[in-house]
Amino acid sequence: MTNRTVRSGLWLAVLAVPAVVFFLVFSYAPLAGLVVAFKEFDISKGIFGSPWNGLANFRYFFSSGDAQRILLNTIVLNVLFLAATLAAGVTLAIMLNEIRGRFFKRAAQSTIFFPYFVSPVVIAIMLQVLLSGPNGSGGVVNDALTGFGLPTVDWYTEPGPWPWILTFVKVWQLGGYMSVIFLAAITSIPEDVYEAGQIDGASRAQMALRITLPLLKPTAAVLLVLGVGRIFYGDLGTIYAIVGDNGTLFPTTDVIDTYVFRSLRQIGDFGTTAAIGLFQSVVGFVLVSAAVLIQRRYSKETSLL
Amino acid sequence: MTSSLAKAATRTKVRRPGGLEPFTLISIVGVALFMIACLIPFWVIISGSFTDEQTLAVKGYSLLPQPFSVAAYKLIFTGPTLVSAYVASVFITLVGTALALSFTSGLSWVIARRLPYVSRPLAIFAYIPMLFSGGLVPLYLLVTQYLKLQNSYFAVILPLLVAPFLVFIQVSAFRQLPEEILDSARVDGAGELAIFFRIGLPLSKPILAVVGLFYAVHYWNEWFTALLFMSDVHKYPLPLLLQNLISNVSFSQMLPTAAQQTTPVYQLRLALTVVTIGPILLAYPFAQRYFVKGITLGATKG
Repeated sequence: MTNRTVRSGLWLAVLAVPAVVFFLVFSYAPLAGLVVAFKEFDISKGIFGSPWNGLANFRYFFSSGDAQRILLNTIVLNVLFLAATLAAGVTLAIMLNEIRGRFFKRAAQSTIFFPYFVSPVVIAIMLQVLLSGPNGSGGVVNDALTGFGLPTVDWYTEPGPWPWILTFVKVWQLGGYMSVIFLAAITSIPEDVYEAGQIDGASRAQMALRITLPLLKPTAAVLLVLGVGRIFYGDLGTIYAIVGDNGTLFPTTDVIDTYVFRSLRQIGDFGTTAAIGLFQSVVGFVLVSAAVLIQRRYSKETSLL
Repeated sequence: MTSSLAKAATRTKVRRPGGLEPFTLISIVGVALFMIACLIPFWVIISGSFTDEQTLAVKGYSLLPQPFSVAAYKLIFTGPTLVSAYVASVFITLVGTALALSFTSGLSWVIARRLPYVSRPLAIFAYIPMLFSGGLVPLYLLVTQYLKLQNSYFAVILPLLVAPFLVFIQVSAFRQLPEEILDSARVDGAGELAIFFRIGLPLSKPILAVVGLFYAVHYWNEWFTALLFMSDVHKYPLPLLLQNLISNVSFSQMLPTAAQQTTPVYQLRLALTVVTIGPILLAYPFAQRYFVKGITLGATKG
């Protein structure tokens, strides 16, 4: 670059100013606000005027008895979500790849991709329709159970099945989205690999299992690694929309994010919730960094920066 | 790479010898089943929204609306609460998307032009928020104590304005513009800003559509920031109003009712759901191919 273009180039940086201001105010300033985690926060004194109280907020959370359950739920649910959506994405992509009819394929892709655009609140309502009728019991699923002569379940008072129900929701929501990513990866598999397979007399099933599936591993690995980095972040929007303040379901559905949100709204304990948030951010940061480093090793071209 | 999905849809990998192999058959059935699973919840909701409240309460949901009733829709479009929710959602979506798209484009363009000393630090600057965030409490204090945005639509719009992930999608799209075109404009004496507005943006319409659509959907569906920062029911956006109808049946008392008549709460809830999904449902056929392009681009760039 010549001097002239460098100078006009610096002018160009003006375009970035609005976004930079946004990040400073809404992403970087809140980082400073994390000192609340070490304070006995008093809203009238403000963030910086409140007295310090060291690690008391952290101690309070970890000795409260909620900590273990919440951390466990967060990890269990996220692992289930990650495993299930990846598996669904790969399966759907391979199946879609088998479909010859262009019209059917298009229609299928559009249909299975659509749930991605639906608000968590709408999903919560759909789930209510399926699991509980307007009058409390009933619902489409229970109607079906009755039809088969099986006992009905009062879903919204049974915490047991909820990890699976939420996993179903995630697969429904993200299966199509994931399949698009994998289908793109399938497209980049060279044609002659399949031709070779065909010459060797492989059936379609053998080609899918022995060629497509192994060649999807790198893509799956990238998504997996990224997902692992996010494991400490529950899906607040979806889980809270569905479970809400239904305490009976907390034993299996309460995650860090929902817990923080609830304590903030109901108890207004800023110090402790900020401490949990900070803990979550730090662990999340370590996991994300580890994930990015591993991913960099794994494949240079797809690295994040 | 961007068109790989279009290719995936049209290209048949290997010509199959005649006859339908079991695996292909299983695939067709599997995909069809997943399609049905994706459609049924929508169908039950749409059908329920046209079913008479009494029938809903007694017989539960069914696949055919019988007896047919549009009572809930009448209520929706006559009640001021619901109209104001629609207005709130439209405002948040339109203004939010416009602001988000222009902020994102500006930043992405500067990163994409690989300016020495500027682009790379900016990229890292935009990337860090993806890794480390202050979390809920500092954000809450910022919006309520320092910016005093409670009960303003901007409390929903501003915290979500620039999504780092979409910045990176746009950067990689901007980088695909041929440098020669930009250079020839420079030779003709165009300034860098003129190049951005007159050449860069017009040539990037497809990616602007992708990113704009992602922002629009995300604002249209947003309810959580609204829940945090809005207490005035008349400013609730649609999804938050819906959320309230789920958790709080007495909320329905706020809705207009004909004299002595009870509000069809369940039917209303479903009708409002339909009304909320409506715009997405209508825009979807046009938007879908852009979305596919967007996530394919995003997936390959991480």
